Amino acid sequence: MAGMSDIVLGGGVPWWLTAVLALAAAGFLVHQFRFLNRSLGLGRTSLLTLLRGLVYALLLLFLLGPARTVEDPTSLRRPLVVLLDSSESMKLPSDAGDATRLDAAKETLAASGLTSGLAGSYDLKFYAYDRETAPFEPDALAEVSAAGGASRLFHALGQVSENEPDAAGVVVVSDGIVNPPDALDGFTGHPRPVMAIGVGETDGFRDLRITGLSTPEMAFRGRATAIEFTIQAFGMAGIQVPLYFNLGRNLISTHPITIDRDAYENRVTLNYTPRELGTHGFTLTLPEQADESIARNNRKAFRMEVRRDKLRVLTLSGSPSWNYRFLRFALKQDPFLELVSFVFLRTPSDVVDVRENEMSLIPFPIDEIFIEELKNFDVLILDDFSHRTYFNPLYFENIRDFVRDGGGIAMLGGARAFDRGGYHQTALSTVLPVKLDGRGAFRTGVAARPGLTPAGRAHPLTRVFADPEANEEAWSTLPPLTTLNEVAQADGEVLLSAEVRGRHMPLLTVRRYHDGRSLAFASDDLWRWNFDAVGRNQNPQLHLKLIRNSVRWLAREPAFNQVQILAVGGSRQPGEKHEFRIRVLRDDHTPAKDPVLQVVATGPEGEQSPLEASPTDQPGEYRAEFTPRVEGSHRIVARAAAAGQPLGSAAHNFLVALPSEENDDGRPRPELLQTVAARSQGLFVPAASLTDAHWSEFERLMEQAAPSRIVARSRVALWNEPLLFVLAVLLLGAEWWLRRTWGLV
Amino acid sequence: MNRRRFLQGLLGTAAGAAWGLPERPVAAQSAAAGQAGRRIQFVFAQVRYRGGDWDPRPRATTPMMQELMRRTSVEAERERRVVGLTDPELFSYPFLYMAGKYDFQPFSEAEVGNLRRFLSFGGFLLADNTLGQLGYGFDRRFRAEMKRVFPEQEIRKVPLTHALLRSYYLIRRIGGRVATSSYLEGIHLGETTPVVYCHNDLGGAWERDGLGRWSHPCVPNGEEQRRDAFHLGVNIILYSMTGNYKQDLIHVPFIRRRLTQ
Repeated sequence: MAGMSDIVLGGGVPWWLTAVLALAAAGFLVHQFRFLNRSLGLGRTSLLTLLRGLVYALLLLFLLGPARTVEDPTSLRRPLVVLLDSSESMKLPSDAGDATRLDAAKETLAASGLTSGLAGSYDLKFYAYDRETAPFEPDALAEVSAAGGASRLFHALGQVSENEPDAAGVVVVSDGIVNPPDALDGFTGHPRPVMAIGVGETDGFRDLRITGLSTPEMAFRGRATAIEFTIQAFGMAGIQVPLYFNLGRNLISTHPITIDRDAYENRVTLNYTPRELGTHGFTLTLPEQADESIARNNRKAFRMEVRRDKLRVLTLSGSPSWNYRFLRFALKQDPFLELVSFVFLRTPSDVVDVRENEMSLIPFPIDEIFIEELKNFDVLILDDFSHRTYFNPLYFENIRDFVRDGGGIAMLGGARAFDRGGYHQTALSTVLPVKLDGRGAFRTGVAARPGLTPAGRAHPLTRVFADPEANEEAWSTLPPLTTLNEVAQADGEVLLSAEVRGRHMPLLTVRRYHDGRSLAFASDDLWRWNFDAVGRNQNPQLHLKLIRNSVRWLAREPAFNQVQILAVGGSRQPGEKHEFRIRVLRDDHTPAKDPVLQVVATGPEGEQSPLEASPTDQPGEYRAEFTPRVEGSHRIVARAAAAGQPLGSAAHNFLVALPSEENDDGRPRPELLQTVAARSQGLFVPAASLTDAHWSEFERLMEQAAPSRIVARSRVALWNEPLLFVLAVLLLGAEWWLRRTWGLV
Repeated sequence: MNRRRFLQGLLGTAAGAAWGLPERPVAAQSAAAGQAGRRIQFVFAQVRYRGGDWDPRPRATTPMMQELMRRTSVEAERERRVVGLTDPELFSYPFLYMAGKYDFQPFSEAEVGNLRRFLSFGGFLLADNTLGQLGYGFDRRFRAEMKRVFPEQEIRKVPLTHALLRSYYLIRRIGGRVATSSYLEGIHLGETTPVVYCHNDLGGAWERDGLGRWSHPCVPNGEEQRRDAFHLGVNIILYSMTGNYKQDLIHVPFIRRRLTQ
């Protein structure tokens, strides 16, 4: 029943007007009483005035428009969202037993007061979330699997807010692992209370892990580079484990790691000095321990491209000469070259007229160079250098092996070079691109005119200008050289020939020798091509480019490789197709037609897969595909040959790895769930501690945030009842009748 | 071997006995150098200019070249070549020697431009003030002309640590016919010093007369000063052919050790 407080006035007439009319009505009544009292007694006067007063009161009531408020309370049945974590980490053991975290989550949902209690008051909406968020029917709970590669909890909370705007609250069942790990930073709270139920025991969690890997993408050969990472260990205090550092399958080093406490964390720095050029795959591995929750995160793989810091060039000059002077000038000006040179300033027969300490001459460290240090150089240049006084045969063998294993050697002409230097029948002669027979003369006072050969027109050493005509002209206008070493016959590619009295002889010759390269320049007058150009007001670039290109070609810079692997992508995942192209060039660097091309992919365990290469529409270019099946470091090697002769090979290493967002750190994060609940005015409960009281408390929190019981209010007007009109008419009629009866009408 | 060469060798041996120069008869050396396959690596080219006296020491070259070959592995042309600064063959001779006593005519613009290119791209110039006096004559004109060749550069003292003074001998004294300066001067372009200027008349110390005798006495320190002049000549030539070779890292500790011995 409505009280006075439930009556409202809604007549729409201003209160002051109502008050004026009430006063006027009162005035009329007083006047009427006095007027009637003159002719009627007090009783009759009072009765008539009362009747009129009641009529006035009814009229004023109409003006005030009184109404009564009526309330109708009802209860709403709202959605309650249940978010179940279906990411990969839910596959991990929940505790020391065999049950997974997902098993524990399902059991919690099935056995708890959620389905038995709250289901009566709320419409339960089930969603599984991992990388994506998808609804599922309650009876499909058993079919939910932990397969998602990531846990996007906050994305899921946002999505259910859009899908279920009327939801009373959200129940999250998870181990608390989210991706990315710092996603919590941007989460300020959910608009409805969140009840977070944590699955997975932190106490029983055992894991050894490598994380926080920091390596440069690029390192320089021969220069130490730092590899930094963090080792974490949970539940493994008191053990010692080895850390293996591998380059591909080859073990580089082992480091003992002592886990001296639980929740162990230690930042480790390994200094590694790469020796081999190219892109290489490295791994850091901690052996899997007994009962370890996650074995996969014991291994971290990374790639690093090893480049030359500088090409190291060693020159040995038989004496000071202008050739050396301008060679040094060209090499020293190149910031990517490091030059170590020895010039023989005197011979054993030269006069020494001062004490040793008045001379700057140093002993030639011949043993150190040819036995120990040679391997640390990329290119050796013998510049009019005589071996006769200094060498023993072992040095020649070492130089041959140096070239065979990938080094570069150049012999520059002069009286002490080639045949006059007595290099025939030495181990070195087998490496050189010219044949020596012991009879080749060193000719002075000649006019040897250089000319490009067909091979020289295409070869990168002598193609110093892109335009073929400009290139041809540049070489043809060079001044003739005044000296020439006669070499019997070219055994490599002759790029420049020297014309002397109509006879053409090899001047610049190059050759590949196993993995290395050799070059011969049959004159010691090369410097003239520099200084003569200066005298003609020209840039001496041809000489400079020839020197620098030669060094790079000898050092097997990738740009000069005859077999190149192109367009290789970055890290891939198992099952993804990996496409790359192979370019094959002949010795003169023109595209190779129909070469014998062998392409082999080698997996992390050494398993080899031959690949088929098919020609593209570009001359000399071939396409091959490879689909790695397993994670780890893979290597593609392409070898090409033509006419029975190898053209070279190229190798490329790359890593194949699954995205490791989920399984990398499997430690449950109850603290994260606690924060999510706190920021959303909800509560956090470990699954193992969940009771009906928690559900009641959550229901209270939901009611507090948005009550489910609502009241419908309506207004009933009291003034427009027909009875009031009838009453007013009756009152006026009664007054009229009494007036008539009492003789006033 | 003719009579003249025999006498030259004999007198040379006698003259050098006081300080070990020369120990081998010149004639014998000439014969060795004349063997087949001998490659001339160094030519001493002297600049001929207008006015003044471009050739005050006409016989200085051969003794210096002989000493260069006796002491080092360099095979040199015994006789000098004479070139003008605009001669086409100038750039066939990266080493230039310019001597003089007196004022001379300014270089033409073509000569200035040519010399600038010559020195900027690998050439070398040894200037020798044979008068041994500073402030006038050759000295004043040479400085003025160098200012035209390299307006942005000054002729500066060559420090004792310079590679030139370590290119063969560890030079501590600047030799010459006279001892006007205890230092060399030069023009430095980046890490190179393409111009070296000596005030002590090096050519006067090197020169022999037609009978092989020294043309001029060296004052005040006599033959020791002459020996220093030859040592300096060897160093300057080797520096021109090897650049800063002796400043390469591999040489530094050896040289430092010897300098402190």
